[in-house]
Amino acid sequence: MNHTTWTQLLPFIFILFIVVCFAVLMGTDVISLQSMTSQMPPSLLEMNTIFLSIFIEAVPFVLIGVLIAGFIQMFISEDHVEKWMPKNRVAAVFMSCVIGACFPACECGIVPIVRKLVSKGVPIYAGVGFLLTGPLINPIVIFSTYMAFGNDLKIAALRMGVGFAAALIIALLVSLFFKKNQLKGQTGTMEIHEHTQPASFFKRIWHMLGHAIDEFFDMGKYLIIGAFFAAFVQTYVAAQTLLQAGEGWVSSTLVMMGLAYLLSLCSEADAFIGASFRNLFPTSSILAFLIYGPMIDLKNTVMLVSVFQLKFVFSLIFFITLTVFACTSALVWL
Amino acid sequence: MTFQSSHALKAVMLATFAYFLVTLHANGDIVKFVNPKYNLLSQSAACLFFFLCAIQVFRIIGKSTHVCHHGCNHRSPRPKVIISYAVLFFPLITGFLLPPQTLGAAIAAKKGTVLTSSSSSAAHEGLQAARKEMNQAEYDQALERMEKEPVIHLKENVFEPYFTRISTEPQKYEGRKVKMSGFVYKEDGFADNQLALTRFLITHCVADAGSIGFLTELEDAPSIEQDTWLEVEGTIELTHYDGAEMPMLKIVSWKEIDEPKEPYVYPVYIKIM
Repeated sequence: MNHTTWTQLLPFIFILFIVVCFAVLMGTDVISLQSMTSQMPPSLLEMNTIFLSIFIEAVPFVLIGVLIAGFIQMFISEDHVEKWMPKNRVAAVFMSCVIGACFPACECGIVPIVRKLVSKGVPIYAGVGFLLTGPLINPIVIFSTYMAFGNDLKIAALRMGVGFAAALIIALLVSLFFKKNQLKGQTGTMEIHEHTQPASFFKRIWHMLGHAIDEFFDMGKYLIIGAFFAAFVQTYVAAQTLLQAGEGWVSSTLVMMGLAYLLSLCSEADAFIGASFRNLFPTSSILAFLIYGPMIDLKNTVMLVSVFQLKFVFSLIFFITLTVFACTSALVWL
Repeated sequence: MTFQSSHALKAVMLATFAYFLVTLHANGDIVKFVNPKYNLLSQSAACLFFFLCAIQVFRIIGKSTHVCHHGCNHRSPRPKVIISYAVLFFPLITGFLLPPQTLGAAIAAKKGTVLTSSSSSAAHEGLQAARKEMNQAEYDQALERMEKEPVIHLKENVFEPYFTRISTEPQKYEGRKVKMSGFVYKEDGFADNQLALTRFLITHCVADAGSIGFLTELEDAPSIEQDTWLEVEGTIELTHYDGAEMPMLKIVSWKEIDEPKEPYVYPVYIKIM
């Protein structure tokens, strides 16, 4: 049997597998299933619960993200990008950060959008600006931060202000070091062949949905892997030992950034967790937690690695870490 | 017209994702994962999955318009295809097979902020003016009730604001009677007759759970195991733990209860509109 027949058969085997699974599930006595799972260590079940909850929480945003990515694919051409994007690097970075700030997104939903934008010819540094401010600055995040810190506008305002400044600096750093689009396995000029002739509106919508579905299957697996890592860390790594390491503002800032990275919380939900550390750490460290988390975390890294070249992703993480640390530390001296 | 099997598989998977979310909502297990306030989000996701599945069904028998570009599965090596579908199936399999587990003391210990978060601090003051998913009038009423009632009852819907008030100004509530339920959490620094009665506060999903609880003192503490759910009545006293002043419940009466249907508590937002 040759290679192609095999790959064509594979989905059938899978469908058969699901059917069998369901049949077994329906047929199995519920009680025997429970006795089977009750023998599992509870920590494993807890990890599974956290894993699924991250997935369920993120999946609506990912769906919105892939739909927008599909929209960009079908309705925005390289010519549009060429026309709208400022030629000046600094202006382009500033514009992308502002658009990101106006655009309510979540850190997992935004990766497919940025990938699509960059493949359409948006410069990588502008893509990064959008990637960073999108999840960090939006009405829901401002509101939840305001609430979590006891109706205190100060933290919410600092989160937005310092976060925006940090995003600008990071995007400018990227513009200094990276020129090409940094996408994985692409030579730059692909995906043009598809829609050279203008299609009807309805047809474009149809293709947009198709693209969204393919994109979901492409991105979904990385979301799942990321969510699994994050759940593992939450269940088996004690934050307490990390917290004990945090004395003084330097180490406490580093600890809080590490925590933000590992916990992989949604930017809409991390404010209450941040607030619970107020009595342990200075404000600058809390702020580092609130800014670093939405920009980069474990779950997000897995998704970025799937889209961009490894060297670029690591450099980006390095830039983000350095800049966020410097910006929040600057507050200590002010 | 060709039958495209990879499209068929995707359609089946989209339907399964939708079915999974619908099942969670139908049997109520969704509260074990996500704050019910955000139910609309996962319901919309289920609808989107159904919708995309319907689109996908048409693609199965559609003419092969699919242009092969990035990440096309049929061009990828076989093991890669298997792995990527297996990964996508993974949450579905564990979701259908394994029961959701309510978070307990082990996770609280990992998070390490059971009592630290409640220690009084000036920064907490603003909190009392805050939030509710009830409207302002209902919220004020609830707080007024808290001041007047002979026993402060920390029910699920007011747990968080009541808890915050008491831990912010323990002096003000010293000597008041409190009724509450929670699970038992013990850590190394506790005396023999001490345990923390704890609830998890969920902002969005259980991944962002933070534990909040009162230190309690009761004679039988050594015989009560971690994770046991208790309903207690007690009096608020002041104590010091880890160098911070905090409220403590001196238990008057207690009984063991089953894990409640709604094990988690949620922050309360005041509807502005």
